[in-house]
Amino acid sequence: MKHLKLFLAVVGLTLCFTAGAQSQNAMRLNEYLIVNTADYQDDFGQQNAWIELYNSSYGTVDIAGCFLSDDPDNLTKYAIPGGDLATKVKPRQHVIFWADNLPDRGTFHLCFDLANAKEIIFTKGDGKTIIDRIPVRHDLGENVSFGRTTDGIGSTDGSGEGWEVRTSTSPAHYNSKELINKGSKASRMKEIDPYGWVLALTAMSVVFVALILLYFIFKAIGNANIRAGKKRSAAVAGTDVNKSAYGEVPGEVYAAIATAMHLYQEDDENHDEESFVVTLHHTDRTYSPWSSKIYTLRETPQVNKRRR
Amino acid sequence: MGHIIENLRQFWQFTGFANFQIGYLVMIIIGCIFIYLAIKKDWEPMLLVPIGFGILIGNIPLFAGLNVGVYEEGSVLNILYQGVQRGFYPPLIFLGIGAMTDFSALIANPKLLLIGAAAQFGIFGAYAISLALGFDASQAGAIGIIGGADGPTAIFLSSRLAPTLMGAIAVSAYSYMALVPVIQPPIMRLLTTKKERLIRMKPPRPVSPTEKKLFPIIGFLLTAFIVPSGIPLLGMLFFGNLLKESGVTKRLANTASGPLVDIVTILIGVTVGASTQADQFLRWESVKIFIIGACSFVIATFAGVLFVKFFNLFLKEGNKINPLIGNSGVSAVPDAARVSNNVGLEYDPKNYLLMHAMGPNVAGVIGSAVAAGMLLGFLG
Repeated sequence: MKHLKLFLAVVGLTLCFTAGAQSQNAMRLNEYLIVNTADYQDDFGQQNAWIELYNSSYGTVDIAGCFLSDDPDNLTKYAIPGGDLATKVKPRQHVIFWADNLPDRGTFHLCFDLANAKEIIFTKGDGKTIIDRIPVRHDLGENVSFGRTTDGIGSTDGSGEGWEVRTSTSPAHYNSKELINKGSKASRMKEIDPYGWVLALTAMSVVFVALILLYFIFKAIGNANIRAGKKRSAAVAGTDVNKSAYGEVPGEVYAAIATAMHLYQEDDENHDEESFVVTLHHTDRTYSPWSSKIYTLRETPQVNKRRR
Repeated sequence: MGHIIENLRQFWQFTGFANFQIGYLVMIIIGCIFIYLAIKKDWEPMLLVPIGFGILIGNIPLFAGLNVGVYEEGSVLNILYQGVQRGFYPPLIFLGIGAMTDFSALIANPKLLLIGAAAQFGIFGAYAISLALGFDASQAGAIGIIGGADGPTAIFLSSRLAPTLMGAIAVSAYSYMALVPVIQPPIMRLLTTKKERLIRMKPPRPVSPTEKKLFPIIGFLLTAFIVPSGIPLLGMLFFGNLLKESGVTKRLANTASGPLVDIVTILIGVTVGASTQADQFLRWESVKIFIIGACSFVIATFAGVLFVKFFNLFLKEGNKINPLIGNSGVSAVPDAARVSNNVGLEYDPKNYLLMHAMGPNVAGVIGSAVAAGMLLGFLG
């Protein structure tokens, strides 16, 4: 039982940590624009600097509670507020934050701008763990952005690997044309795995893992149950633990079953003397005009099946 | 008189005879064969009678605008068909299956779970074949699930991944489930030696009520955390089982395993049958689906039996598993288990394998639901 509890605790904690870790860690700074004169407009019709985040995972990520900052010494400069459904970023989708220093305008308006920023930093809800960072380049010019070549791919340590200068910006949209043209998950899957072996191996591994975990859990529960049953029996009937413990069927039961099966299979003549007692069972029939004898006249036909 | 003749001529245009095409006749014959197999041969009658009659309903030649066809929006049949299209019948059937299923054999000998996992190779073998035959990935996933030998799962997944192929997939899945006693025994004999067929397995231990209550709760939490996309099927399956095993919801369990599942089976059978209109069904794609479906059942049986033989290499003498129960890892409950038992009895009239085979059989239901969740996650 002790082992079982430990095992369940480990599995539970692993699942919790995996779920938590997978979520916010999958977010990426994906693109930013500093000088916006003829680019994307916010809900107020104004053009300001923007920062694009991308959810690189295949699950929805809630970024409420995370932080955006332009200052490495103050990672918690802007806390993304909770209670806004829009902070839940769908799988492989983007979200835009306006670096306009106008936080009163809503969840996606930051309390800083990029005019003098040196770096953009995205930090986890603990305010300490940096998920992604990228230096701010001030040599880009008007309506020219800096973004990842392929969405979500590249450095997260500020080295800028996998980033490029983009004269054609793509706010709230894929940077990579390949991703735009790849269409549905199914078509991407066929492209990655044209013969189906990768999916087959992945899915079969998951099916096996799920059922193996179930096997271990119920093996442990079964063992614990057998031990508990033996203890109970020992307490009730002294040291003779074989009388009614789980996992141990008394020999009399086997003998009775074997005798019955033997008589049934070997000697049909055992049934030559019947009691000749006929029992009439009352047929339970809920009244309805549809089942009334007056209207139906006969019972629903039932095929008499031979014994298999 | 002229008006009467004109009315009769107009009426003739409304009739099925005037709109008749050979495809409808073919489908009506198929429907009649289904009904014949169900009544005369007793092959899955609960499914083949509704599906067979549904095929008749769906293949009465109509002209558009009568608003009675299954594909005509707002018609009665179309409304009933929503349960298939939107996928809410299959989870309800899983609720009933859960309330009917006794997982004791599996709980008593949990290593049988692995056989249920191995037999899912049928799904992915069929997926690979479908890709090779030119289907796109989502269609291949929907076709592959035929190998799970589980009608509701096949309908659930195909309604999401490939709605246009759903009729062919459902009919194929149910047909091969009915043919399990024909397809599986030759493969089982081919892959096993006489010595292996005579293996007697230890009788399963009694399972305590507590274990039976814990199984649906732990089973659901574990599988749903791993494959959340399978929640509609897994949730209802395990919920139904908890209703049965809790001991305090007898009325609910009786309803789920009785009237509810009967109602949904009637509706799903008739509407799936009606969805096989000749113009939608009689296509080269349907023929390919039937061929792939047969392959998937063969692969699943191969995988199940071979896995048991492989597994036996690691088991001590006395704990070995009779490989004849490997076929029951496909989830055609309880036909596949019955096949194991019958083939076993041919070689040893006193070796009853039914209870042992029920373990992998119900594990196959869980395994195919998990596999469906995986396919939905990757391709949906």
